[in-house]
Amino acid sequence: MSQSTRGQRRPIPSSAFAALLYGIMFAIYLLYSPSAITLAGITDLLNNTIVLAIAAAGLTLVILTAELDLSSVGVIAVTNVIVATVSTKVPGGAFITLILVCLIGLLVGLINGWLVAFLGLQSLAATLGTMIACQGVALLILEAPGGEVAAFIMNRLTDTVFGFMPVAGLILLLAVAGWLLFRRTRLGIAIYAVGTDALAARLSGLNVKATKWLAFGLAGMAYGLAGYMLGAQTGTGDPRISNSFLLYVFAAVAIGGTPLGGGRGGVIGSVVGAGILTVMQKLLFAVGVAEFYTNIFNGVIMIVAILFGNLSAILSLRQKAIMSQHRDGQLVPN
Amino acid sequence: MDSSAPILQATNLHKRYGATTALDEVSFSLYPGEVCGLLGENGAGKSTLVKVLSGIVIPDAGEIILDRLPYHPRNILDAKAAGLSTAFQELSLIPTLSVAVNLFLPKPKVNALRLVSMRSLEEEASAILNQYGITGVSPSALIGDLPLAARQRIEIVRAMLQNPRVLLLDEPTAALSEREWLFGLVDGLIARGTSILYVTHRLDEVRRLCKRCIMLRNGKKVLEASTAGMTDDDVFSKMAGRSVVESYPVRESSINDSAPPVLEVRHISAARVNEISFAVRRGEVLGVVALEGQGQSALFKALVGLTPLKQGHLVVDGKRVVIRSPRAARVAGLVLVPEERKSEGIFNDLSTAANISIPIINQAASFDFIRGKRERRLVERGAALVDLHSRYLPPNIDALSGGNQQKAILARSLLTEPKCLLLFDPTRGVDVGTKYNIYRVIRTFVREGGAALFYSTELDELVHLCDRCIVIYRGTVVAEVSEKELSPHVLLSLAAGHASEATQSMITANSRNGTSR
Repeated sequence: MSQSTRGQRRPIPSSAFAALLYGIMFAIYLLYSPSAITLAGITDLLNNTIVLAIAAAGLTLVILTAELDLSSVGVIAVTNVIVATVSTKVPGGAFITLILVCLIGLLVGLINGWLVAFLGLQSLAATLGTMIACQGVALLILEAPGGEVAAFIMNRLTDTVFGFMPVAGLILLLAVAGWLLFRRTRLGIAIYAVGTDALAARLSGLNVKATKWLAFGLAGMAYGLAGYMLGAQTGTGDPRISNSFLLYVFAAVAIGGTPLGGGRGGVIGSVVGAGILTVMQKLLFAVGVAEFYTNIFNGVIMIVAILFGNLSAILSLRQKAIMSQHRDGQLVPN
Repeated sequence: MDSSAPILQATNLHKRYGATTALDEVSFSLYPGEVCGLLGENGAGKSTLVKVLSGIVIPDAGEIILDRLPYHPRNILDAKAAGLSTAFQELSLIPTLSVAVNLFLPKPKVNALRLVSMRSLEEEASAILNQYGITGVSPSALIGDLPLAARQRIEIVRAMLQNPRVLLLDEPTAALSEREWLFGLVDGLIARGTSILYVTHRLDEVRRLCKRCIMLRNGKKVLEASTAGMTDDDVFSKMAGRSVVESYPVRESSINDSAPPVLEVRHISAARVNEISFAVRRGEVLGVVALEGQGQSALFKALVGLTPLKQGHLVVDGKRVVIRSPRAARVAGLVLVPEERKSEGIFNDLSTAANISIPIINQAASFDFIRGKRERRLVERGAALVDLHSRYLPPNIDALSGGNQQKAILARSLLTEPKCLLLFDPTRGVDVGTKYNIYRVIRTFVREGGAALFYSTELDELVHLCDRCIVIYRGTVVAEVSEKELSPHVLLSLAAGHASEATQSMITANSRNGTSR
């Protein structure tokens, strides 16, 4: 009985379509900028991707539970200025700052999660509040762009290791590997369950509140890391990271095939989505599109990317129809 | 264990929601190794009682003793730890997760790295599905891809997997058409000393399984008796608080052959529907008989344009129509009362009145502004058609019992003045009193010139309500049964696809009648 129908049943993940789109865009980019395929070129591209990718990965966790989180830019602003003020002042500053930004991110995330899960506030409003508050804190720490980032962070984290592997690439690989393991943990499964149907999850015995709380906490930690990596990229602190970055974080998640409704999608798609957005910037720059037009292109390509991602939904629906016919044939009435 | 001491004893349970009292001083006991039936109309408090016992709802007052210890569950895990598990009516499975993962929620087994191994989970699930006699379901399949009946089975198995000392089954057969599967499992469990509280609307199930039953009405316990001594009439009158002598309205044929059929379906094919043709005449209730997953759901969806037709067409009142959406279907005069009331039928956050008036709200509006008084008049007219008390109109529809929600959906459908009602299992999870009401509404509708296509998982309903039935097997019509030959036995054997010789000859006779018409 119940012969496994594994092979034909699993729908193609939407991250696969995002990856395909990434390949196409990267190829076009290569035409205009052949040096992109060199190690230096790839390192540069990954360095440009990593902040957005880590932030989008964090946001994905929250969106999977069917909540929203705007606090990323706030956390990034705070942790970025922390890197620019603390990392040079204490011995072993790079490491200590890393711990510090993770804790700060975790703290903000847990506050978000507490407001949303335990006090029942709307996540959009609650995280808007923490975002603005964090931006204020960032200005207190550093009132104007400046500061100094430890040389170790600036140089080593933007370089390569083992002579072929960009550090940023290594971090992304670790993030993806970590995600693949996380998906198989009870918390990972609970996040999908809670985002799909909170009531059913509760009736199944899952702790809906704790799951959301932890998802926000982990997301905050990711934003902290993103702020740290931003320090590595820019070498300075900037309390006024632009709010448009927030929209790119959401766009990366959407392009990666994680719908806002929760319960579907995943981190890998969001990382690829961040990659697509970054290549797009690079491509428009390489082509020499005037700055006025870049936003128009940005927007159009974003919509195309999301349409592309939806292809997977359409295809899996078809598959479902075929499958159910198949199942019908199998049915054994007694 | 001392068999005379109850395993579960509830005393004076009380729960209020605002102005409504859901449970009013309810006390009862459950003894080891017994199945106790819990009967009552919708809104009687059965579901609240189940939720209180499961730890989902905290009672305002009252004591529960489980296995001689005070029992105050704050959530479902407390209940589980105390040895009580529940198969919920609204099904607590997660559609985006696999059968295997769902079976082992909330704590699927993890390895030394605290990771869940899908392979070992699926192997274990496969053994469990086998053990519980569930065939044709792959443990790696997503719950959302399974038909409702399969989901209900998995919900039941998941509750049983916990090896509970007390098992609560809340309307476990609502979506099942093969109930013997469940009855076998229940017999096995009570033989091992498990106690079961069995919530149902169906008297025959109570008689089959329970020696004793209790009954709630308006949150109060109104009956506790052994089933052997009760007559059906006793039960109905207690449940509804009035005497119900006949459980089906009189069926007097109102078929009008002089006009063209209201709905003619000509050789339609769609996903899981293969070359189906039939006609529903004016004044006729045409029954659809099918076992689980034979394409009946797809047929109803195709009729209102939810799934595209691959071939064939529909004729309404002699005119060919093209239907690509439920809206177009409504314009053509076809209105669907859908299968999944909770997700397809109601707007959870709107009042009952708004739920009723939605399709015809334009009639209550001037210049796009809704006129409250006009809307109220419309809604009250609709509610009167289905005997829905006006006190149910202002609250949110999700505060209503399943039966009253279904009445509201029927009222909404009737207000659009349809030519043909498409009713997909409209009495699922509905109490006896409301069922009778729904039957009456359907018969009245056809007597006044309408027509109805009626699918039900209950053969009795089809036999007593329909003027004629078609039988669907593997996506196609395999037989047509006229009113005279309607019997549960005949329908069941036809629906199972292996008709006996006797019924076979009858079918051919019938289909000849059908075509010569």
